[in-house]
Amino acid sequence: MRRSFLWRNRVLLTSGALLIVSLHLISTGVHPGDLAARPESAFLEIISPIDAAFTRFSDGASSIVNDYLNLVHVREENAHLRNELARVKGDRARLVELEVENRHLGEMLELKDVLGANAVAANVIGSDATGLSRTLILASGSSDGLRPGMAVLANQGVVGKIIAISPHASRVLLIDDHNSALDGFDQRSRARGIVAGLVDDGLILKYADRSQDIRVGDSIVTSGLDGIFPRGLLVGTIKSVHRGGPGLFLGVRIEPAVDFRELEQVLIVTQPPPHLDDGAKD
Amino acid sequence: MRLTLLFAAFVVLGLAFESAVPHLVSFRALIPNLIIILVVDLGLRHHGVLPAMLAFAMGYATDALAGSHPGLNAFMMTMVFLVSYEISTRLMVANAMVGATVVFFGVIATALATVAFADGFNALSDTGSMLGGLTLEAAISAIVAPFIFAMLAASKRMAGLPGRAARE
Repeated sequence: MRRSFLWRNRVLLTSGALLIVSLHLISTGVHPGDLAARPESAFLEIISPIDAAFTRFSDGASSIVNDYLNLVHVREENAHLRNELARVKGDRARLVELEVENRHLGEMLELKDVLGANAVAANVIGSDATGLSRTLILASGSSDGLRPGMAVLANQGVVGKIIAISPHASRVLLIDDHNSALDGFDQRSRARGIVAGLVDDGLILKYADRSQDIRVGDSIVTSGLDGIFPRGLLVGTIKSVHRGGPGLFLGVRIEPAVDFRELEQVLIVTQPPPHLDDGAKD
Repeated sequence: MRLTLLFAAFVVLGLAFESAVPHLVSFRALIPNLIIILVVDLGLRHHGVLPAMLAFAMGYATDALAGSHPGLNAFMMTMVFLVSYEISTRLMVANAMVGATVVFFGVIATALATVAFADGFNALSDTGSMLGGLTLEAAISAIVAPFIFAMLAASKRMAGLPGRAARE
């Protein structure tokens, strides 16, 4: 009967005994070297390499997770930096544009000072719509004091003249248009002629006498006799001189001083310079 | 012997997991208390002297890696085993739901008892701030428990041990 009681309650009794042992351990503590410390020490010895392996594994896994998170972060940062770079590139492009515009305007201001005439700067906002003529569209018009027939210049040289105007825009006929003509002369030999445009793109010096000393590389400048362009403005340089053809005049090709396709700002002479009349006397 | 070896293996892995994974998870409450789950399984399904001693040993092993009062975890694991055993014998049920419930309350009770033993019962008045994390840990342990029970059952079958409650 007694054995049966113990057997039936062996779990409770064992657990109770273990609880008492536990309380004893808690109350007395376990000191190094004690018998009770040996199992603990042994277990620590057993589990430490496994724990180390787990830690290495978890560190590796943590490293992978961190690398992945960092990669995600780097991707986000990369996208942010790309956007920033695009913005900086845009800003830089605008700054370069402002610098170029500033330089052009500065050069035009110098030109204006050289001319000693009243002039207005204007931005080029377009070119000929059909391509059949060689014209430009300016962002300034009659409200800015522009009038048809005014000379349009660039810092490199002559551009053309205003042929049509509205309050806030105007059209410029370029000197290389086949309907354009201006009076000019060879700066070295003083040989005169009419600078005119060609249909097939280019400039020629018309009515240059065969007896004139005109050479390749000579500069052609405005004479001012047309009453539009001030005297002494560069039109271009002689590209070729043809003497073999029939007729009384030389065949002279001119390379324009201005690249009309690259024009961004121009200067419009609103009042003919004083020396225009002097030029007319020549 | 097979039961001892099986649980020893699970305890070693469980303790290694619990001590290593906090490196990965900054919020400790997210890590389930695997040892209590093992002890509850012992209490629910293995009724004998050896399971009681295994529970004690598991607690004592935990003491080797946790806490500053040797014997405290041994005491608590023995208590959890005893409660599980009593529930199993009185209710005559040992399914996963009962096991998860015991695990849930076992985690909370063990934590509170540990605080009370280590710092005195007056310290229990200061546990308000830790109850949230403690409840979360208990809930996670309860959620994980059925899976651990299933793993143990499968391992026991492989080892030729009875999976259901059996008096030894």
